[in-house]
Amino acid sequence: MSPRLRLALLGAALAGLLPGAVAVIRRLPEFGATIAAYGERINAIVPAERHVANMVSAINFDLRGLDTLGEEFMLLAAITGTVVLLRGRRGENTTDRAMRLPGRAILPRSEAVVLACRLAGPLLMMFGLYVVLHATVTPGGGFQGGVILASGTLLAYVGEGYAGWRDVIRSHWLDAMEGGGALLFALCGLAPMLTGAAFMQNVLPFGTFRDLFSGGLMLIENAGVALAVCGGFTQLFLEFLEETREAAGPEEPGEESA
Amino acid sequence: MSVFLPLIFLLTAASGTAVVLVRDPNRQIFAICANGLVLTILFTALQAPDVALSELAVGAAAVPLLFLVALMAVRAGKVERENGKGGDS
Repeated sequence: MSPRLRLALLGAALAGLLPGAVAVIRRLPEFGATIAAYGERINAIVPAERHVANMVSAINFDLRGLDTLGEEFMLLAAITGTVVLLRGRRGENTTDRAMRLPGRAILPRSEAVVLACRLAGPLLMMFGLYVVLHATVTPGGGFQGGVILASGTLLAYVGEGYAGWRDVIRSHWLDAMEGGGALLFALCGLAPMLTGAAFMQNVLPFGTFRDLFSGGLMLIENAGVALAVCGGFTQLFLEFLEETREAAGPEEPGEESA
Repeated sequence: MSVFLPLIFLLTAASGTAVVLVRDPNRQIFAICANGLVLTILFTALQAPDVALSELAVGAAAVPLLFLVALMAVRAGKVERENGKGGDS
């Protein structure tokens, strides 16, 4: 396609789409204006009906729980696809110890990095747990908390080196977390049906408003999401690192640092 | 707030442009990181703390780390190839 033809195509597309876009943009509410209808309805329903203070969690796990179930399996599919892609050369075999790519330089870590990671790592994990547990009370939830937890495990990698990291991380556990979290979410949808309720109907007691234990079934779904996200992201890091470390050649013993 | 929001918008545009204009992949990762931080501040200023937390965790920490690791992989592959020719970078 010649540049002139491309420009002509662009011009035709702009001529076709621009009037519609302009019309829509002109009808948009002003920046900063509140779009009241749906938000106010949610604000009215959720604290009364579900005893939940964090509306976003209530939408994600209860009112539009089915969408989150779909997202959960999208995440599962995306991570499975990435893992399959990255494992291409070395197949399904996993090792329990750190492997090393021959000829790869081992960079020493400064003591400041080790200290900072040892201090920040546990604190970050604690904050991640806090964000996960308080999903129905404060901003955050399973997804955010899960990613923070996964970042915490990565601080262990930065601070302790690859061998130390691999001593803690087990690939099979990550698989179980990832799949088990998604399974837990799906079960949360199916289990209410055993009692005669609808799919993903919130049948558990709702607890007290603004309390840690509020929201009923949402807490379990939230834990499932946290497990799946934490396991999935750590699995991603692990597979990327394994790809750089493990060579097709004969295995070499683990390294001391990285 | 009236000064703060436009400032953050400008910063968002600037840091986003920086991600495109920085050509060295190593620095680009840190530009993405900075862009994620600016977006986090923007979302917090617009009173969307949930989105801000997600952006902070994914955009400013997880994705740049993944890119760093992927860059490592590319470089390791380069070492493997250049070892045959005696190179060492």
